[in-house]
Amino acid sequence: MKRILIVDDAATVRMYHRKILVDAGYAVEEAVNGIEALEKAIQTTFDLFVVDVNMPLLNGYGFLCELRKQDVPQSPAIMVSTEAADSDRTLAYQAGANDYLIKPVKPKQLLTHVRLLLGEVRE
Amino acid sequence: MAFIKNQTPEPINQEERKHERDCPNLLAQLSDPNPTARRWAARDLINCPQSAVPLVERLKIEPDVSVREVILTTLTRMGDPDCVAGLVACLNSEDAALRNEALEAMKQLPDEVAPIMRTLLADPKSDVRIFAVNILESLRHPEVESWLIEVIENDQHVNVCGTSVDLLGEVGTEASRKPLERLKERFKDEPYIQFAADLALRRIYEN
Repeated sequence: MKRILIVDDAATVRMYHRKILVDAGYAVEEAVNGIEALEKAIQTTFDLFVVDVNMPLLNGYGFLCELRKQDVPQSPAIMVSTEAADSDRTLAYQAGANDYLIKPVKPKQLLTHVRLLLGEVRE
Repeated sequence: MAFIKNQTPEPINQEERKHERDCPNLLAQLSDPNPTARRWAARDLINCPQSAVPLVERLKIEPDVSVREVILTTLTRMGDPDCVAGLVACLNSEDAALRNEALEAMKQLPDEVAPIMRTLLADPKSDVRIFAVNILESLRHPEVESWLIEVIENDQHVNVCGTSVDLLGEVGTEASRKPLERLKERFKDEPYIQFAADLALRRIYEN
């Protein structure tokens, strides 16, 4: 079973993403900020990260920048944000994101992007 | 034989203040090339009224994380209207880190931020309205629920409403029930709103 780490400070968003992913057959873990996510990513191998941008302590950009410096499997990451500006999207890719979705994400949309990045379907 | 203590000079403290501490000097040191001098200046400007504006201007361009932290601490300790206005301006920044820092600083200023909350919640930019709702999370003000209800009844932006629903799940009472049901109807094609509103309604019912 593929393992996905959801990183978001909003509990409702984590629960929503968790439900979508668990119902689709993925194993899911959660982190409430970038620091907790980094600790988990170093301890455990995840196949994918679903990461919010704005979080306290260490935001999504900071988390991905740090993650990409670590000697751990560099699994793909989807950044999920309320911010639709091109500059935010560019920052996400520069930080190490592989995909960028605007909140609120619809279940089918999230699963399509997850499956693409996990190589479960062809583009 | 008497023991003669080796006369070594006192170690030089790198953090030692090297300039006068009057306000004009401190303001000038905010632009010093040495981050230690900038950090001391940012800290000592707490005693200089009307330094909020230059502190906020420095915050916008300050590259050193530790200096930024001290500037934010000074601004939150000062907490005057200029500080709050400067932090609000930072919420509009293109710099995500600065936006986050301003948001966290404003959460430390509940009494100062409360009077401008209606203005923030009516800001033309949805991002600023979302930040305003995020600030409400830690405001613990008696008006929080009524402000959130106003948002979910009137705001057209799905993410502003979604963020408000998250918080209503924590602070909402029976007064939020009908507005949440109307929100579900207004955004009936948005699965996230349906999910979050149902969760909030369940929590309100359980409480």
